[in-house]
Amino acid sequence: MVEQKKKEFRKRDFFFLVPLWFISLIAPDPYLYHKKEFKKKDLFYLGAICLAPLIWSDPHFHHLMVLAGIYAILALGLGLFMGYAGQISLGHAAFFGIGAYTTAILTTRYGFPPFVAFWASALSAALIAYLIGRPILKLKGYFLALATLGFGEIFLVIVRESTHLTGGVIGIFDIPWFSVMGFSFDTYLKQYYLAWGVLVGLFIFSKNLVRSKVGRALLAVAASEDAASSVGIDVPRTKLDIFVLGAAFAGLAGSLFAGVMSTANPEAFSLGFTVLIVMMVIIGGMGNVYGPIAGAILLTWLMDILSKYQEYSLPIYSVILILLLIFFPDGIGTRLNVRVIYLIGYWAKKKKRDEGKL
Amino acid sequence: MSLLSIEKITKEYDGIKALDWVSLKVEKGSIKGLIGPNGAGKSTLFHLISGVEKPDSGKICFKERNITSLAPHERSALGIGRTFQTLQIWGNMTVVENIMGGMDRRLKGGFFSYGLWLPWIRRSEKEALKEAKEILDSLGLLGKWESMASQLPYGKQKILELGRALAMKPQLLLLDEPASGLTLTEIEQLSERISQIRQEGVTVFIVEHHMGMVMEIADEIAVLHNGELIAEGTPAAVKRNPEVMEAYLTRRNRNPDA
Repeated sequence: MVEQKKKEFRKRDFFFLVPLWFISLIAPDPYLYHKKEFKKKDLFYLGAICLAPLIWSDPHFHHLMVLAGIYAILALGLGLFMGYAGQISLGHAAFFGIGAYTTAILTTRYGFPPFVAFWASALSAALIAYLIGRPILKLKGYFLALATLGFGEIFLVIVRESTHLTGGVIGIFDIPWFSVMGFSFDTYLKQYYLAWGVLVGLFIFSKNLVRSKVGRALLAVAASEDAASSVGIDVPRTKLDIFVLGAAFAGLAGSLFAGVMSTANPEAFSLGFTVLIVMMVIIGGMGNVYGPIAGAILLTWLMDILSKYQEYSLPIYSVILILLLIFFPDGIGTRLNVRVIYLIGYWAKKKKRDEGKL
Repeated sequence: MSLLSIEKITKEYDGIKALDWVSLKVEKGSIKGLIGPNGAGKSTLFHLISGVEKPDSGKICFKERNITSLAPHERSALGIGRTFQTLQIWGNMTVVENIMGGMDRRLKGGFFSYGLWLPWIRRSEKEALKEAKEILDSLGLLGKWESMASQLPYGKQKILELGRALAMKPQLLLLDEPASGLTLTEIEQLSERISQIRQEGVTVFIVEHHMGMVMEIADEIAVLHNGELIAEGTPAAVKRNPEVMEAYLTRRNRNPDA
């Protein structure tokens, strides 16, 4: 009887261990983030990104991953601002919206090619971020969060009210597909490679930033502004730079979003969306460039799976988020391999413990 | 020519005078000590020099240049390094990154050249890493270069903070109570290190409560009491000064060194 019980225990533990071990191979571990060089694991990720849509050729999956890729670009920029520089921004969706509307207006009203609109979106988002960042970034902590929140709301009001330019609440339709030199990204598969290609480029850029002088300055500002300025780091400038960069990322993501969904309406850039992006960064892991991407993929999938349950989806969604925050407070990849080793050690001593020897 | 000169500085907090008409000079290549009872205005003076706070009136000149209205990072860029009374290391970085962060102003290059990881950036980062390791070696911290700075013991963190200030190659180093919280052997090592720093050509301005140490290493000592400069001179002269004795009378019972 006792033997039987033990066996059941083992089976159940094994059931947990296998997926945990598997995730620990894939998911990035924020606790190791100070080892910032590119490694073999990055090649593995790159290969997985390239091959995944070919192996899993379901259009729904492709579409989902396109969205995940776009959200990941957004979360990556916010992750630099929140995770590295230690500031809070609740207005990031507004920059996403600025990017989307810039593309929408330039392509539908003025007939610019999407490729030009793509860069113009990044520039306009960065410019607006620079203009509002200069006064706003003097605030700290919650005040900064409130100010950026206010900016997001003001953006929404402007978009809703200026009907002749943005189409008001209805938004802009029939935005042309994103295209480069006559090559149109009109299927989900092509869009997948577009979104993830841009993401990989921006990811390499960000990783280069965080492993060099810029990343050290950001972390220094987050840890102690006095100490940072005592070694000659220009604290306001550092914050502004990373804020503008995050906004430029968001602008690019917004442009891709407009080119992929071919609509832009104010509902897509509301406060709820900002909170979603912030959740992606927190759940994925702060102070880490892999985390926001992992968080974006996870939450995009989670929302899609839960949409089957309709009215129950929101409660389940929030319970899952709370559980994730309780068990993985530093991000979903955190110390998974340490946990696996701990579990193995737990079993190894289990027999002795049961016999009362330990 | 004096490296740093402070002229008729006044600073008030809510009507209480923290510093009152203080004038000081720090000569190039010397070690200057600043002592005084608690609340005498020593830390305030340091904050004014490093730019964390602005004086109500008066002038601060560094290398014959008026720096009174400059921001903290601009002063550091001119060559003023400092440590803090309450330890301010960057605990979210590794030990070696703390040192490399200290080199920030010496590493050139903008945002995009770092993001694109241009060849000369790669080279300069490599050199910075090598130099940082050399600095760590001289501080005796090389064995822990890859561990997080927050995991070091307190004494080592203080040394790391000093190392970070040295990594920026300052001409003037402000040390705010470097010996507080250290053991006696660590204090001995610290005073040796400070003398060594001076031999490398760095001017040191030091606030310290540990009298034995300041008297030993400083060339000249200034005494602040209730925001006023009451004495200035060689350690021996300051020790004999009756006003200084009086200011320290209450402390003397507790601290036989003073």
